[in-house]
Amino acid sequence: MSRKKVTAALAAAALLALTGCGANAGATSAAGEDFPKKGKTIDLVVAFSSGGAVDTAARLVQPVLEKELGTNVEVINKPGAGGQIGYTQLTSAKPDGYTIGATGSPSVVVSPLDPARGAKYTRSSFQPLGRQVIDPAVIAVQPDSPYKTLKELLDAAKAKPKSMTASATGLQTGEHFALAQIQETTGAEFAPVHFSEGASQATTAFLGKHVDILVANVSDVTDLTKQNKARVLGIMTAERSPSLPDVPTFKESGYDVEAGTARGYSAPAGLPDAVAKKLEAALQKAIEDPEVVKKMNDLGLQTSYLSGKDYETFWAGQESDFKKVLPMVQKKD
Amino acid sequence: MDTLNELLNGFAAALTWQNLIFAFLGCLLGTVIGVLPGIGPVAGVALLIPLTLNMDPTGSIIMLCAIFYGTAYGGTITSVLLNTPGEAASAITTIDGHAMTKMGKAGAALTIAAIGSFVGGTIATLGLVAAAKPLGELGLLVGPPEFFALMVVGISLLVALAGKSMVKALISGALGLLISMVGIDPVAGAPRFTFGMDRLLDGVSFVAVIVGVFGLSEILSYRKGESTVVHAPGFRSLLPTRNEWRRSAPSMARGTGIGFGLGLIPGMTGSVASLLSYGAEKKFSKHRNELGKGAVEGVAGPETANNAHANAALIPLFTLGIPASPTIAVLMGAFLQQGLTPGPTLFTEHSEIAWAIIASLFIGNLLLVLLNVPLVGLWTSILRVPAPILTALILLFMVIGAYTINFSVFDVFVMIGFGLLGLALRHLEIPLAPMVLTLVLGPLMERSLRESLEISQGDFSIFLNRPISAVLIALGLLIICSPLLKLRKPKALTDDPET
Repeated sequence: MSRKKVTAALAAAALLALTGCGANAGATSAAGEDFPKKGKTIDLVVAFSSGGAVDTAARLVQPVLEKELGTNVEVINKPGAGGQIGYTQLTSAKPDGYTIGATGSPSVVVSPLDPARGAKYTRSSFQPLGRQVIDPAVIAVQPDSPYKTLKELLDAAKAKPKSMTASATGLQTGEHFALAQIQETTGAEFAPVHFSEGASQATTAFLGKHVDILVANVSDVTDLTKQNKARVLGIMTAERSPSLPDVPTFKESGYDVEAGTARGYSAPAGLPDAVAKKLEAALQKAIEDPEVVKKMNDLGLQTSYLSGKDYETFWAGQESDFKKVLPMVQKKD
Repeated sequence: MDTLNELLNGFAAALTWQNLIFAFLGCLLGTVIGVLPGIGPVAGVALLIPLTLNMDPTGSIIMLCAIFYGTAYGGTITSVLLNTPGEAASAITTIDGHAMTKMGKAGAALTIAAIGSFVGGTIATLGLVAAAKPLGELGLLVGPPEFFALMVVGISLLVALAGKSMVKALISGALGLLISMVGIDPVAGAPRFTFGMDRLLDGVSFVAVIVGVFGLSEILSYRKGESTVVHAPGFRSLLPTRNEWRRSAPSMARGTGIGFGLGLIPGMTGSVASLLSYGAEKKFSKHRNELGKGAVEGVAGPETANNAHANAALIPLFTLGIPASPTIAVLMGAFLQQGLTPGPTLFTEHSEIAWAIIASLFIGNLLLVLLNVPLVGLWTSILRVPAPILTALILLFMVIGAYTINFSVFDVFVMIGFGLLGLALRHLEIPLAPMVLTLVLGPLMERSLRESLEISQGDFSIFLNRPISAVLIALGLLIICSPLLKLRKPKALTDDPET
């Protein structure tokens, strides 16, 4: 090939690349009637590391969303600071529908409540689009642990406070709240170890016996229980979970503790109505898709859809609940 | 024998012509995506998952694994030719890879990188076949204290990267640690060094920093009249010389070991593997003095380690269902979407598919070499572009690359800012590699330190009470002290006849 031809080809390629970028940065119409533009990618921000329950749910929903919306949907992981990094990114994005995110409680509810965290968003920075699941918290011990029942474990922890380490995923995360609620109600105190990258990292450390107690959600332990790698002693919900039918609830064991995670999807506040409607409809389709529901079930996640409006009400209710126990999970040192 | 039988069945399933075409297409698409700046393996695989959704599970996973290899290799191509890493894991390859390009040995560098990737990937996959279960369990032994100790060993390699002045290396290393601190505190959520800027909450983008510090600063440092960026290679220099092959072999062996070992540990990334491999070359290679000036070891080691890591990281996925690195997590998502749950149950419930995938890993690694070695000539022909135009193109490439990381102009400014910083450091003769090392290791080190101390409730002796971590910390100290104790090889051995 002659030198000129190569240069020309390269210049053409560079030009092509540049125009590609231009299209991506293009302006959106205010009304959002033409949302979503074909070929323009919708970012789905997941504020936790890949492989965890939030991420998996988002990746299951993503292909159906793509089909419904007729454009690319890309799951983007922004883990760290108990979700705060991802939520900041989500709420600081332009409310044009091209950035949506997975929102989970308590992280999204709690992080703006504590001024020490310096969160740049509040509840009103989000526009809830739909709830997908509720995932109750559980407490599990090593399969060879001497503690066979919840009572034995909690009594031992009461007798020697902080003698056992328990996994959590950062200050004021669901696991940390669950631990605080256990302490508040039963007097049993564990030493929390925060695995800031999320549940899969905490589970790994538990499997390697680097922490004594695994505090996680039902979905995190369903597979572990099948493989006999964890003994789940209690589930923090009103009724037993269909994924773990043999595990008694805290209530059955005589402790009034309910904790868990609820997850859904939200956009930055200020979405044009037409865009919000389209996204909500597509999300409902995706969340209730029988294939998705089945795969979520396989993972131990119970689908529990709420519309954007109902999700917002639920969110507000959680906010007032969490405000009550907040002082217990704030950093004291 | 059972395993062998099942593997052969896997090959039978993977070697159908459809699956071969999928593997080939995957490699090709992946390479092209990898060459595009800013898009690394994670984004590449994620982008192409939709393409594979309607295919049968075996074919789609085979294609995705191939895309994954392809993007990793494509990133190397731009590192070597244009001094712009396409992804974090091949960042360190720019140092010697691009130096080789300037010596007219771009073809050799690319060939060695392809072969190294093949060697690392194949050996790691053999490990997966031979002893997946015990190896997976081995990875679990590494808890937070051991992880921290491993990071101490990594940081200790800074000594090897020091060059002439230890003080300057430490300055560079401290700078890297400082930059790695920018962003939200991972445990408590408090913003650090963000100066109230939202953009900095995420920290600074590693690829933007690397492109600036290595790539841009080098172009800026060209003096007037020094117009030749690179020498276009002649045909003969497309292939490595026999001497280069011989020198690469031990580096590939070390790279395989490092990449494989780190791949078993959940939470390690490919860039840690390639960086530590580079550090090891600097410390232990026979030609360590040539590293940084276009030594083939600086390409062979990291590129092998990178791919060995990528393949070994599949072991925790297959045995424990744990995604050990971000790219693996994307692959795991693809598994789930196909109705396959990674983990030990995969082999009992979908044994045929599992083995077909493993067989396809071998095939994908091989196809990558078969596809890319002949293409080396094509890629290197880019260097025939006249130097002034090529320099402009490289600059363009860097800007686009920085922009496409997050589609944000902010990253372009980060890249330019770090280009200027890199220029200043070059003038002060402060080495750049230590900064990159601490930039990558810093966050991992901080995380594991905090986790360890929470486990021990503040007691530092946890690092010495646990045998693996004690040994690793001792090793780190030994490396740090080795220049003082003259523990290096006796002079007679260092004076290699080849150098």
